[in-house]
Amino acid sequence: MAVSLSVNGVTHTVDVENDTPLLWVVRDELGLKGTRFGCGMGLCGACTVHLDGQPVRSCSTPVEMADGGNITTIEGLAADGDLHPLQKAWIEHGVPQCGYCQSGQIMSAAHLLQHNPSPSREDIVAAVSGNLCRCGTYSRIVAAVEAVVDSRREQSGREEA
Amino acid sequence: MSMNRRDFLKVTAGTSGGLVLALSLKGCAGVPTGYDEQSGEWKPDAWLELTASDEIYFTLARVEMGQGTYTGLTTLIAEELEVTPASIKLRFAPVATEYRNPLYKLQLTGGSTSLATSWQPLRIAGASARTMLVSAAASVWEVSPGDCRASEGRVVHPNGQDSLPYGRLVELASKQNVPGDPALKPRGEWKYIGKNRGRLDAEAKTTGAPIYGIDVELEGMVYGVVTRPPRYGARVRSFDDSAARKMPGVLEIFEIERGVAVVADKYWRARKAQEALTVDWDNSEALDVSTDQVFASYHKAADEDPGESERSEGDYRRAVDNAGQVIEASYEQPYLAHATLEPMNATAWYRDSEIEVWAPTQAPDLGRIAAARATDLSPDDVKIHTTFLGGGFGRRLTNDYIEEAAAIAFRVHKPVKVIWSREEDTRHDLYRPAMLHRMQASISDNKVTGWHHQIVGPQILDWYVRNAAPAQYPWAPKFLYNTLGRVGLMAEGIATPKDHSAIEGAIEYPYRVPNLDIRHTHTDPGVPVSWWRSVGFSHNGFAVETFMDELASELGQDPYRFRRSLIDHEPRHLQVLDRAVGLAKWDEPVEEGRARGLALYRSFGTYVAQVVEASVEAGEIRVHKVACAVDCGQVVNPDIVRDQIEGGVIFGLTAALYGDITFRDGQVQQSNFHDYPLMRHDQRPEVVVDIVDSEEDPTGVGEPGVPPVIPALGNALFALTGKRQRKLPLRAEV
Repeated sequence: MAVSLSVNGVTHTVDVENDTPLLWVVRDELGLKGTRFGCGMGLCGACTVHLDGQPVRSCSTPVEMADGGNITTIEGLAADGDLHPLQKAWIEHGVPQCGYCQSGQIMSAAHLLQHNPSPSREDIVAAVSGNLCRCGTYSRIVAAVEAVVDSRREQSGREEA
Repeated sequence: MSMNRRDFLKVTAGTSGGLVLALSLKGCAGVPTGYDEQSGEWKPDAWLELTASDEIYFTLARVEMGQGTYTGLTTLIAEELEVTPASIKLRFAPVATEYRNPLYKLQLTGGSTSLATSWQPLRIAGASARTMLVSAAASVWEVSPGDCRASEGRVVHPNGQDSLPYGRLVELASKQNVPGDPALKPRGEWKYIGKNRGRLDAEAKTTGAPIYGIDVELEGMVYGVVTRPPRYGARVRSFDDSAARKMPGVLEIFEIERGVAVVADKYWRARKAQEALTVDWDNSEALDVSTDQVFASYHKAADEDPGESERSEGDYRRAVDNAGQVIEASYEQPYLAHATLEPMNATAWYRDSEIEVWAPTQAPDLGRIAAARATDLSPDDVKIHTTFLGGGFGRRLTNDYIEEAAAIAFRVHKPVKVIWSREEDTRHDLYRPAMLHRMQASISDNKVTGWHHQIVGPQILDWYVRNAAPAQYPWAPKFLYNTLGRVGLMAEGIATPKDHSAIEGAIEYPYRVPNLDIRHTHTDPGVPVSWWRSVGFSHNGFAVETFMDELASELGQDPYRFRRSLIDHEPRHLQVLDRAVGLAKWDEPVEEGRARGLALYRSFGTYVAQVVEASVEAGEIRVHKVACAVDCGQVVNPDIVRDQIEGGVIFGLTAALYGDITFRDGQVQQSNFHDYPLMRHDQRPEVVVDIVDSEEDPTGVGEPGVPPVIPALGNALFALTGKRQRKLPLRAEV
């Protein structure tokens, strides 16, 4: 079946079986390898992308469910070549170890910040708790998200003043 | 076969009696070095390349799997070469004898050895190149090299004003004498060692760059999946692919050594076709154990065979005869899977009588053997490209996935990527061995007089030697591979390093007890086993540090003071113990409903003490805090040390709380993260890491964070409940 997807602002038509997971379409049909395969059952979060603004596990999302949808992957997070504040914070804090889960971690955190500009630590932990990290980078992830939240608060404080 | 007559003579001479001695012989590969006039590139050694256009390349021979070699080893080069670490471009090493790990005589990354074994050679490599660049500039300026200095990729004139960039000097530098013993920078002049923070690979790992094995993309690539026997050791009797062959995109279905391969134009199509495939397995030689039988067989072996003595001091029997009290305990620890987040995968392409392999592997020279085994090719016909690894933890020391990709590629003559599902990854792992430990201690006058530790279980070398022995002799003909394996085992401890996988961390028992009897009863139930982040230390650490806690409790002593009184002859142990206890405020009351537990353990040369604070809430064990003190000698990158210890804590707690691979009738019962869970964000404790400032030579940090946290948690639960758990994983209610 032919499916139409807008991925990172570019519309693609792909012809694959309709039960093909969105993950393999993004990775192999569109060549965007930053979205990762970890478990195939929506248990680890490495494959997290945004579908119409919602974080979804692309490994267990049949592509037919994404037909006509707007998808953002890790490669689409940077705007005009400028990295997303979370990506900058990830680098600054040296978050990744093996790094394999980090696209998914960032996509989950990015969704949180879109909808909650001033999350508490509990909010942050809840937003990323479905994203497993075998290396155990969890504390750096939370610290990096908090750094972005803090700098935004500081910025909005300055703007108000 | 590309082996020449001379090589063959070497091998046959070896098998007629000289093979054991020949274990130290070098292979035939060599990395070309020197100056290339055409390209203007200078390779002073196997690691470095400097170009006329001021680029610096560093060949990384210890793979990056999260532990930080990419940053840490580059820092050593940068320090001595006087360039910023970020200005160095990295390449992953091909297979060559120069890149072997000197401790193993194999090109492998493991055992927390990368920094320790690179500390001198890489600094010398950097210093040597720097010295030659300085000499080159001095000869241009006709000044004394001793009056010039290197800084930020340039050599600075004695006048302090003029300078020449390295790129302009490479040709001349290549013609300078290679310094025999180049002067390393004194500690006080270090700019990066001990100070550099962050990671050089952070950006690639944050932007979704295609850097892992699973991301490899080749023109015309197809996908392979393999149906493997549910029971280890089973063989294909027959298979019915009539339905699978009709599925869209299916190219070929055929039997390989390890099962039945399905090749399709797309990954998902290969998976769908695999579902339609039925295989009839010949189970006559298949594994047939269940977990209960494994431990029953261990207890039987322990009863019947006291095992080989691995360390004996004083007279343990006499200590027991004279003892007022003898305390005993036995501990059972399960099989554990590695669960790297990037599943096993490899891409292979066979053309022009050669095979190229792209794979995340910890042992590329063993990968060459694996690919050669699976094809008609010799190791020289195999080229391995290593990628970043989405986790390793010892799993990717074994290259079974390369064997599969090579076997398939050899048949289909197209680039083929083989990807394992999570279920396959969990069920076809080589596991951290299940182990039984029988402990005994003699007590007289309220003092521990004797310590007896009987370790019961397999040795990993028995499994690993299959490809490791041939990898030491890449020129050996394949018909000798199995012989090499057998000889390798016979030579173990004589010409090859002794396999410490079962006993490491037990034989180094550090406490001051006069009579020691430490033994290994070697028994192997047939379950494939391998190294797993800290391996022997992971199970021996639990046994030693839990039993120490039991003794403290029996003697009515505080677990900290009990250990301290027996370790005051070991200053590095003592220091981390005191610091962890101080960090955890051991003597202050703990929050209601919680308790603290402690463990002190040295592994891979690194000293770690950890204090865990835990509770049981709503029927679940909750770990609140882990205070760690670490002495790993000279720190190169403080961030990475901290992160590796914290990561080790999470890894160890995952094992302590959830890790349990079980067998029923030879089949693994777990499959994915719902039944083989990993610790999540919301279960994470607060981890504090205190790093000892030390000038000792650096030791590894990738693994030492794992072992102590497991007994420390168990000891905390004992303090909380008064009930001792002697079997892992730990339970909230016992």
